[in-house]
Amino acid sequence: MSFDATQLFAYAPMLILIGMGCLILLAETFAQGASRAGLAWLGIAGCVGALIAIVAGWAGAAEPTTHFQGMLVVDRMALFLDGTFVAAALLTLLFAPPYLREQGFEFGEFYAMVLFATAGMVMVIHATHLVSLLIGIETMSLAAYVLTGCWRRSLRSAEGAIKYFLMGAFATGFLVYGMAMVYGTTGGELSYAGIASKVPQATKSPLFYLGEYFILVALGFKVAAVPFHMWAPDAYEGAPTPVTGFMAAGVKAAAFGAIVRLLGSAFASPLLVFDFTGWASVLAVLAAATMTLGNLAAIRQDNVKRLLAYSSISHAGYLLIGVVASGLGVASAKPAVLFYLASYTFTTLGAFGVVAWIGNRSDERLYVDDWAGVGTARPAVALAMTLFLLSLGGVPPTGGFFGKFYLFRAAMESPQLHWLVVVAVVNSMVSVYYYLRVVVSMYFRDSTRALAPTEGATMRLGLLLTAIAVVLLGIFPGTVVEWAGSIALK
Amino acid sequence: MGLLGWVTLLPLFGAALILLVPQEEESIHRGLGLLTAIVTFVVSLLMLSGFDAGQAGFQLEVNRSWIAPLGIRFHLGVDGISLWLVMLTTFLIPVTLLSPQAIGIRNIRVREFTAAMLILETGMIGAFLALDLFVFYVFWELMLIPMYFIIGIWGGERRFYAAIKFVIYTLVGSLLMLVAILYLYAQFHAATGGYSFDYAQLSHLSLPASAQMYCFFAFALAFAIKVPIFPLHTWLPDAHVEAPTGGSVILAGVMLKFGTYGLLRFALPLFPLAAAQAAPLIAILAVIGIVYGALMAFVQDDAKKLVAYSSVSHLGFVVLGILTLNPTGIQGAVYQMLAHGISTGGLFLGVGLLYDRRHSRKLSDFGGLWAKTPVFAACLLVIVLASVGLPGLCGFVGEFLVLIGTFTAQKLWGPAGLTGYFPAPKLMGGIAATSVIISAMYLLGMYQRLMFGPLDKPENRAVRDIHGAETWVFGIMVTAAIVMGLAPQPILNRSEKSVEAFVASYRDRLQEAKRNPDVPPHIYPPLPAAAAEGGGTP
Repeated sequence: MSFDATQLFAYAPMLILIGMGCLILLAETFAQGASRAGLAWLGIAGCVGALIAIVAGWAGAAEPTTHFQGMLVVDRMALFLDGTFVAAALLTLLFAPPYLREQGFEFGEFYAMVLFATAGMVMVIHATHLVSLLIGIETMSLAAYVLTGCWRRSLRSAEGAIKYFLMGAFATGFLVYGMAMVYGTTGGELSYAGIASKVPQATKSPLFYLGEYFILVALGFKVAAVPFHMWAPDAYEGAPTPVTGFMAAGVKAAAFGAIVRLLGSAFASPLLVFDFTGWASVLAVLAAATMTLGNLAAIRQDNVKRLLAYSSISHAGYLLIGVVASGLGVASAKPAVLFYLASYTFTTLGAFGVVAWIGNRSDERLYVDDWAGVGTARPAVALAMTLFLLSLGGVPPTGGFFGKFYLFRAAMESPQLHWLVVVAVVNSMVSVYYYLRVVVSMYFRDSTRALAPTEGATMRLGLLLTAIAVVLLGIFPGTVVEWAGSIALK
Repeated sequence: MGLLGWVTLLPLFGAALILLVPQEEESIHRGLGLLTAIVTFVVSLLMLSGFDAGQAGFQLEVNRSWIAPLGIRFHLGVDGISLWLVMLTTFLIPVTLLSPQAIGIRNIRVREFTAAMLILETGMIGAFLALDLFVFYVFWELMLIPMYFIIGIWGGERRFYAAIKFVIYTLVGSLLMLVAILYLYAQFHAATGGYSFDYAQLSHLSLPASAQMYCFFAFALAFAIKVPIFPLHTWLPDAHVEAPTGGSVILAGVMLKFGTYGLLRFALPLFPLAAAQAAPLIAILAVIGIVYGALMAFVQDDAKKLVAYSSVSHLGFVVLGILTLNPTGIQGAVYQMLAHGISTGGLFLGVGLLYDRRHSRKLSDFGGLWAKTPVFAACLLVIVLASVGLPGLCGFVGEFLVLIGTFTAQKLWGPAGLTGYFPAPKLMGGIAATSVIISAMYLLGMYQRLMFGPLDKPENRAVRDIHGAETWVFGIMVTAAIVMGLAPQPILNRSEKSVEAFVASYRDRLQEAKRNPDVPPHIYPPLPAAAAEGGGTP
């Protein structure tokens, strides 16, 4: 077993991201004042390069290939999500520069960290071994902690970062402890395929179940599923707004990708899925709890950032339905989860992009009431925000609607999940109420004070792109559905 | 794109165009909006002329692949039932846009208002024409958002409350309907192996009795809220009173019909057995609604609320007519939907005009206007009498046919062994008929308090009669009310075949479902060979 350099070509997206991140760090030391703005463009160039590499690799990934002694895999599902992560990073790099300049902390490291976090996400989704999963998660999370806390003037940013870090470290502890128990009970297996082959013997020991659930707890922290969601509102609120969007979309998507892959391979044995202690029933209950608690808490929020944070918790609940459905053998559940993640990524980034846009250095305008009159003053942005909110609420013709539709359609194929779909639908209804509160404020109330948003050409471009993506995913989802569907054909 | 595609999407294109014109150019917005609506009406006239009254099935179909991986097709088609509802929509929208009072007294943001009305038109026409349940659902929800903005931005004092209430009520029903649609889709797949949301195919799916009950409940709830059927009507007075005139006209004139249309098009034919079992309950609720709405209208001092409650009463007739499940009753229901669109639309326009002049809707603030506004008073009289159901005007035909249908419901269904499902038709018809008298009392009472009596309020002396565009608006509405009252036959002729085919197919499917209540999902009657090949892959 020798190290084969040609295998590296399969991981070009990740390598481009890391390389460009290092380049930005180097360039930062030479950059002065205004030329720092150029660093963001380096990052954007890196993302575009990674996207090209993903597209180039797509055709060859119809059959999954594993590399590095089963540590990593390249397949369609991984590339689909890679595209989502890189798109999230790209949009973050469009939203961030004007925001950072306005708030006075424009450092090149910021852009480098975004790329490193993205590289971590790519690693997470390609991982087929618990060690590579751990490396990916840590790369992603450490960068995310730094990004959360990088707004040094802000106390809330520091508070959010500390909470996020402590909870994240705790989650990592669970992950590693779980790995150790799985390792011990399977007789030294850490690769997904290896674990799957040893499940019948391993389940003789209750420690194996404990290990399995410890790993799921760790991933539950990352997706902010109830009851591991406590950190999310504070971290989301404290982080610089473009980072919040990046975390809510990218980190969640990566962790969901890992859950889908892990449960679809290492823990896919019927011994582990079904019955009272099987993860399908546990996750079904968690899904119901996550969406319900997320939505109920969101109703009470007056701060738009916290409102979106709780809403992102509830979306983790909807996504868990897809995970459970795929565990129960619904073939279209995985593509549905992928489509949902893609549409959710664009919607969430767009929504947080508007939140970043609306404030300025002295006035963040984070409260729902502060949004009064935006509909009159800036109809285009208000329209975009309305689209994002309707998409989050699942109202046609938006990507969010089709994502929910596709996901619920998959879940309806499993008779055990009908109740969960009804719960989800009732939750969607509730969620429309609080999303519309923001719309009410924007359109139905008159402005209380003049709007002085953070302007920037890249920000406008980012909002335009996300809005177009949300509408296209709603009206012509066919192509993306085919991409997502092609993972199931292998 | 086909004629039907154009009718559906033209308003949407017009709305996009209007949104591109700068905010200040209000006259251009109004002009473009009206032009789009009139062109849409003309295209719908082409649809009417291309419609073959001798055929029962769907005509002028547009059937294109949309989201191929899920078997979703952009499938539109028109039959004798949806034909007239589309015509009503394309007729009412230009009239409303022509009315200077449509936007209400908060005369702001004309551009957005016009665009919202046109997007609403696309949603409504699309939902009437949709033959794919996914397409239907998308258009159904598409109606919701513009109406929410119309109430919320241009509405009255309590507009936030009314707008949110409207959205939440509607969503409660429609999301459960979505679950039922997905269930049908999954069961259709289980029964045939194909994936399809196509109405023509799904209406061949016969579900076991218990599944029918759940699905029917989900569909019927969505539609019952929309109608609204007592006791789900509480959103309606709020929404109507707070909405601007144009919103009220379209809400009452067209959108309420989605409830009754949905029952007729989807809830009954897709779940025949459950519909028959639930029919007594719904019929009783409809009769309660007829009487309750009439009594509530009788005690209102707010003219708009009065008209809103009269809608509850009149729509109850439509529901009753549909549930008679004989051609006469359903023909009456269809006709009553159209007549109600004209008469109630006209009433809301009248109340809106008075509110524009006087900034009040309280009947006690008016009196003696006849002397000041003779032309308006004459127009309003015709519309009020049409709503009351005076023979010779549009309201009479529908109510009369519904009552005949109700009285004869048993006679037709007894021989088929289905006596139990429409209980005591004579009693129900008798109770429903009393509301005709009550409606004469409250509507004529309203007219009397507005127009007759002494002109004793000083503010009323300055009220100006209708002039300019307003004359056109009321002239058109009055003409429509008279023409529909005197010559109902051209309309009834075109819907007759479709209604008869509906009743025959319903009866056939109901008897099949009664024979096999516990058979797992299966196809009945067999799918035509060509249709069976359609549908997508997973």
